[in-house]
Amino acid sequence: MLTPAELVWLIAAVAKGDEAAFERLYAATRAKLFGVVLRILRRQDLAEEVIQEAYVKIWNSAGQFNPGLSSPITWMASIARNRAIDVVRKKGELSIEEEPTAMEVAADSPDPLARREMSEELKRLLECVGRLEPDRQKLVLLAYYNGWSREQLAAKFETPVNTVKTWLRRSMMDIRECLGL
Amino acid sequence: MMAYSEDQIALAAEYALGTLDADERAQVETMMSVDKDFTAIVESWQFRLGVLNQMVGSVEPGPEVWGRIRAAVGLAEAQAALVLPEAPPVAPPFEEPAPAADTSNIIHLSSQARRWRNIASFTTAIAAALVALIAVGAYQPDLLPDGLRPKPRTQLVEVKAPPVAAVPSAQYVAVLQKEGGSPAFILTVDGTTRNFTIRKVGATPEVGKSFELWLISDKLPQPRSLGVIGGGDFTARPVLASYDADLINAATYAVTVEQAGGSPDGRPHSAPVFAGKLIQTVPPATSAPAK
Repeated sequence: MLTPAELVWLIAAVAKGDEAAFERLYAATRAKLFGVVLRILRRQDLAEEVIQEAYVKIWNSAGQFNPGLSSPITWMASIARNRAIDVVRKKGELSIEEEPTAMEVAADSPDPLARREMSEELKRLLECVGRLEPDRQKLVLLAYYNGWSREQLAAKFETPVNTVKTWLRRSMMDIRECLGL
Repeated sequence: MMAYSEDQIALAAEYALGTLDADERAQVETMMSVDKDFTAIVESWQFRLGVLNQMVGSVEPGPEVWGRIRAAVGLAEAQAALVLPEAPPVAPPFEEPAPAADTSNIIHLSSQARRWRNIASFTTAIAAALVALIAVGAYQPDLLPDGLRPKPRTQLVEVKAPPVAAVPSAQYVAVLQKEGGSPAFILTVDGTTRNFTIRKVGATPEVGKSFELWLISDKLPQPRSLGVIGGGDFTARPVLASYDADLINAATYAVTVEQAGGSPDGRPHSAPVFAGKLIQTVPPATSAPAK
């Protein structure tokens, strides 16, 4: 796997239309981006479409990447995830849930690998998430990782949608304060 | 930068979190297109939250995706699909008859494992939403209330009843053994539900040590823990559900000796002691196992 610095160089080369750099960038990052969107879309075909669109956007907007604002992989994953959320919101949760090919998301299985190699930014964010009430911690993380809508979250937490709305807003503002934004 | 109301900031945050509905998302995108400062707020949220993706596991997209991307950005005809560098040879999953030991595997595996251990990689595990909490717990357990402290990983996960299937699903078996030794573990995987069970048949860990099961695939940057093999004869877990069928079929399954309770950092600490690959024993009634 390439280092963040190498990825920054690759993106800079991609911004100049360097095809070989684009191919290397794709090879180095596709599995991460695909993992992110597959988790949300849970369908190989949809996830592959989204990945395709995301890399087209990365090719076209590589010049706008600002390494001062985010790491390359975070920037790329944001583009892909954003697109995945758009798709899942437009499609509506129900139709995806009912797809026979929808994959099960092992939402609750802890993974022992997760402890290692966390960036400082991640530790800091998790510290702030960890200060929320337990239910709200789960709420925020389920929303982020699984791309769940307020309706899905309301069903999961057996709570009215409006309550979820209030919790989400409050949680985000608490995180903001905790991060000192 | 002009001052934004708390409503606007919350909207930006929820956009980045992903919980807005389609109309609200469109509204935020319109605001972004006319207001650079608001765009900056949204992006800042996206990058703040984006670090959570460090905990999402990598999954390989299909090989044809690259060709489509090249075509979509107007580049020349794609070359053959990219292959991961140094990919270890993957034996065809179903051709060999059952437990014949692939002895070359053992040595090969230990060098593989060493190499993987050395790769400083920022891709990590398949992230479950709650993994982050467990990570908080591991990193700073005091931040978590009691109820959310991570449970010991040796705890067995109850296998969910498989979904009602109209047809019997394919069954796969791997015999994990030492070079020239007798079978030590039998791993079975249900092709549809991807639940697996591992039965200990001839191995006992030393006192103070645990056996841990790993999935090794050329599609993953390093071995993935499938958990500590419990004290009883059976350990059954649904954790394979998040991997695709091809990866599960082609992977090597290996057992290492770890400190009691399992590897503390998610990496193997011994060369594989027992290893094997899956062999299909019951073909699916219709087609391939569920993707």
